[in-house]
Amino acid sequence: MADIVDIAVGAGSFQTLVTAVQAAGLVETLKSPGPFTVFAPNDDAFAKLPPGTIQTLVQNIPQLTRILTYHVVAGQKLTKADLAKLGTVTSVEGSPIPIDCSDGFEVKNATVVAADIEADNGIIHVLDNVILMG
Amino acid sequence: MNTAATATKIPPSQHPYANIIYRLEAGGAMLPDTPENLMQIIGLYKAYAVPMDFYWRDLLYIAEQVFLDPLPFFKYFIPKEYLERHNHYAGDDADLRIWRGEATAHPELLEFIEKGELKMKLPRIFHHWWHDRINMEFAEECMRSMLWHRGMSTSVNQFDSYLDSDEYKANADRAIRAYFKGNPLMLGLHNAFPELFLEQCRQMSYYSNLGLFWEVMAPVFFEMSDLYDEGKIASVPDAMNFLVNGIFAIAGRPIYHHVYIRGECYEIIPKSKGFTWLYEAALPYVEAVFYRTSPFRGTKSYNAQAGQVPDDQKDFHYGVLYADKFPVGTAGIPPTLLAQDMLHFLPQYLVDYYQQYCRGEDDMLIQLAVSFQRSMYCVTSAVIQALRTALLYPLDDPNPKHLKANRAFFEAQMDRFLRPEARLRDIQNQNYR
Repeated sequence: MADIVDIAVGAGSFQTLVTAVQAAGLVETLKSPGPFTVFAPNDDAFAKLPPGTIQTLVQNIPQLTRILTYHVVAGQKLTKADLAKLGTVTSVEGSPIPIDCSDGFEVKNATVVAADIEADNGIIHVLDNVILMG
Repeated sequence: MNTAATATKIPPSQHPYANIIYRLEAGGAMLPDTPENLMQIIGLYKAYAVPMDFYWRDLLYIAEQVFLDPLPFFKYFIPKEYLERHNHYAGDDADLRIWRGEATAHPELLEFIEKGELKMKLPRIFHHWWHDRINMEFAEECMRSMLWHRGMSTSVNQFDSYLDSDEYKANADRAIRAYFKGNPLMLGLHNAFPELFLEQCRQMSYYSNLGLFWEVMAPVFFEMSDLYDEGKIASVPDAMNFLVNGIFAIAGRPIYHHVYIRGECYEIIPKSKGFTWLYEAALPYVEAVFYRTSPFRGTKSYNAQAGQVPDDQKDFHYGVLYADKFPVGTAGIPPTLLAQDMLHFLPQYLVDYYQQYCRGEDDMLIQLAVSFQRSMYCVTSAVIQALRTALLYPLDDPNPKHLKANRAFFEAQMDRFLRPEARLRDIQNQNYR
């Protein structure tokens, strides 16, 4: 099996995310043994953000890192079934991520479009929205 | 109004402000979409942006250079390099160009600093003594509001808790010692009362925070005024959407506090902490200044027995959205300072407009303050729509559950305006002026 970064690169629909992760210097972290649970917004999700948002973040790496780390839970490999039981998980950024599995699989205000993608060092759930703290 | 889309998918709202909630659900603002409203809010953005261009420059000057000066007699005498400092969001070398105009201080501001309302070229100190100047105290009052309402949004605002961290204290201590180097009196004071200058330093960090916040808003307002003049902002929702997009575009700009002592930079709050414009400056600002602030000395009694002022800071309701604008110009009404500043920079179309109503030129200060309140309701609408976009669902979401979540969010926001002091009901009517 491949690690989280290789899977994202291979899938082809995570170009913005991969670029952002590279810019933030998080590649090595996400290649480390982890394990991590990653909520990965696809390219369409990033495209929904108003113009300029990404540009400002890419100019400011610590701030970009903060947004990206909100999409990651460290130390655990949480499947959809695990997340349904937990209800809320704490992100690496520090803020909580609410999960709602009562009707489909929703992470905060995003819908999971592909769940439980296994990687060597974690698990990926693909989101249709970039999630934000608050 | 095109509210039918949402209304048919979920049951009608029972909220007293249901009509305004439907308007928000249709992509509108709390303010009715009329050309008269649009003219007032854009005119006031322009009139506000010019003094704001001074405020942010001077706030950063004080945070970075004046710092802990025990006798800061000249803190409002902003040096040339801060007037020429490039705004990060205007001009050719902008990080992200919002205003197409210049990055240095606005020409109208420079002219006012030079000649004032006396229209005379005098040394700056004479303009200052004659009170012919920008009322910088208003900016400081906003800053103090943010400082005093600390701890209000701890879930997402990391700036606040950082000010109490050991890391911050160590950074501040280093800067304080460097600043008072060779001054045994002040260093002795610092050793005897280590909290004394530390708290002053926290206040300076808020100077920086607010300065960096307004550095964004000034070019946003200038650009809106230009777009309106060009006919490219033609409705209140257009204006609100421009603000929503601006909020997103700049959301990730860093909030930091650097101090310059004898040419050396001390990073009291480094950019690398990851503090952002949206979470650490904009949202706390809106809560502290638009909603809360502090009771006006001229309208409320601070008498503890009278119980007029709430015990909990979260219940404070003295911000611009609640303010009584009719006593503007009288004693004990702080927004007078801003109103007086904006009076100098009104576009001609608003001067002509005010002359037709009420007491014409005589009560223009009050008329413009009411327009300003309308304009801030439009800004708050943009904040509400931006939060909805960031944390909830699109307005045209087909899932009724999502629409209900949006509805609950809008209703919770409108609940804050149920108290009688709120001016939301007044601004629905053009006779409120």
